[in-house]
Amino acid sequence: MSNYIERFSTSERVLHWIVTASFFTLLLTGLGLYSTLFNGYFSLFGGGRNAILIHKISGVLFFLSSLYMFFNHQKDVTGFDQDDKKWVTERGGYLSRNASHFNIGKYNPGQKLFAIFIAAATLVLGVTGLFIWAPTMFPRWIVQLSLMAHGLMFVCSIMFVVVHVYLATIGNPGTIEAMLYGNVRSLWARKHHPKWYREVTGEKP
Amino acid sequence: MADTINQTTRKGFLVDTSRCIGCRSCQVACKQWNKLDADKTANKGTFENPRDLTPALYNRIRFIEKETSGEMTWQFFNERCMHCGDAGCMKVCPSPGALYRTKDGIVAFNKDKCISCKYCVSACPFNIPRYGTDDKVSKCHLCTDRISGGMTPACAKACPTETLKYGKRSDLIAKATAAKKTLYGVDDLLGLGVVYALEGPPEQYGLPAKPGIPMSIFLWKDVIKPLGILGFWGSIGAMLLHYVTIGPKKVDDDLNVKEDGHE
Ligand code: HEM
Ligand code: SF4
Ligand code: SF4
Ligand code: SF4
Repeated sequence: MSNYIERFSTSERVLHWIVTASFFTLLLTGLGLYSTLFNGYFSLFGGGRNAILIHKISGVLFFLSSLYMFFNHQKDVTGFDQDDKKWVTERGGYLSRNASHFNIGKYNPGQKLFAIFIAAATLVLGVTGLFIWAPTMFPRWIVQLSLMAHGLMFVCSIMFVVVHVYLATIGNPGTIEAMLYGNVRSLWARKHHPKWYREVTGEKP
Repeated sequence: MADTINQTTRKGFLVDTSRCIGCRSCQVACKQWNKLDADKTANKGTFENPRDLTPALYNRIRFIEKETSGEMTWQFFNERCMHCGDAGCMKVCPSPGALYRTKDGIVAFNKDKCISCKYCVSACPFNIPRYGTDDKVSKCHLCTDRISGGMTPACAKACPTETLKYGKRSDLIAKATAAKKTLYGVDDLLGLGVVYALEGPPEQYGLPAKPGIPMSIFLWKDVIKPLGILGFWGSIGAMLLHYVTIGPKKVDDDLNVKEDGHE
């Protein structure tokens, strides 16, 4: 048994970090627009006008790369089986210190829901962003609703990403290696994604 | 941003629509004082001209044609920024100082500070702010530059019929109330800086009967914004709490269990 198995190809990893970089650029350029409390963040980009320009550019990049990432993963993240149900009813074992065992494939239901949520948020943020981009070209009520929905999806996705980053780093030691080098330790795979581990290695249960 | 308005010292206009003769001196005077270019307009079979506010037209006369028993009558309505006590444009503006309230309670603007986000376009209950080729906000600023020097606003000065009366807002309202006028905008949005004496229901003049900040703008700025900031710190706090109470899922925990159990 080799110590490491491949989880993400180089292109998958590069794509993930493009999505991440554009997401955080959007976050930082959006903060000053979100509230005057965060006006200082504009100075990172040389003023509000530049921040808006960079927001628009990274918005296009995020929209395309994030949706592409979703379609890339689609078959792995949109199906839920009986083992996933058990994970959901027991909250993935995250609410207890006791060791938990779930028969999970490549992604657990929490990851699947996160991937689906991010795809939906990308769509909403992208479409509403377009209306906000050229407000005088659309009916006022559409732009008003868009401003609200854009703000709402902005905060929801930040909260989801906070949870995602926690679980991908200190919450589950060993996970970040999947996105950094592409390989994970076999022990990690056997613990977190046993069904996937058996598929990849052909090992009998 | 805390936007406070002193209701007792506040200045404003009283527009008595019954006096207006539709001469449009106000339109011309405003253009002259503010050095605004002429707009190219088209004849659409009415005397109303131009048909909408533009980046170079801060106020205009709306012509309302009415037919009563076969006879055609006009009503004239001076359309402009209302200098709302609770101003939607200021609520959403992300660039401090781009829209600001003067000590007289006027909502003025500073193009240098405007970052062209155009949020104010969507947040104004009266659809007033306009954008020109410079991509910056423009609207009536109640002649901030004139009144700070003790002068009357250009439009009011040019008005030959005293339709546009400028002064201390509370005095103007008291006088109009004594004259038994039907007033619009006394209390809405913490009081409009431009109060109208109307001769019919507001809808007839194209005004909302009960003007307010658009619902989704209110939800955005007064509900989602504060809750969102709370939610952000809440999610970070929740993750930290999880880490120190329940703790991470370490891979070798399992290893120990296995070793204990099987060997
Ligand atoms: C510093 C920030 C981030 C870190 C450290 C991080 C880390 C990771 C890691 C380690 C994985 C692999 C999980 C596994 O092997 O099961 C992953 C997957 C993924 N990441 Fe991130 N990520 C970050 C930011 C983001 C952002 C901003 C987004 C989207 C807006 C995002 C979207 C995704 C998606 C959709 C997946 C696919 C699997 C899933 O749904 O969890 N990530 N990330
Ligand atoms: S009328 Fe519109 S632009 Fe004028 S103060 Fe009110 S919200 Fe602002
Ligand atoms: S367009 Fe200018 S004035 Fe209007 S909200 Fe944006 S920064 Fe403020
Ligand atoms: S108050 Fe001044 S800026 Fe406003 S419409 Fe009259 S002339 Fe124009």
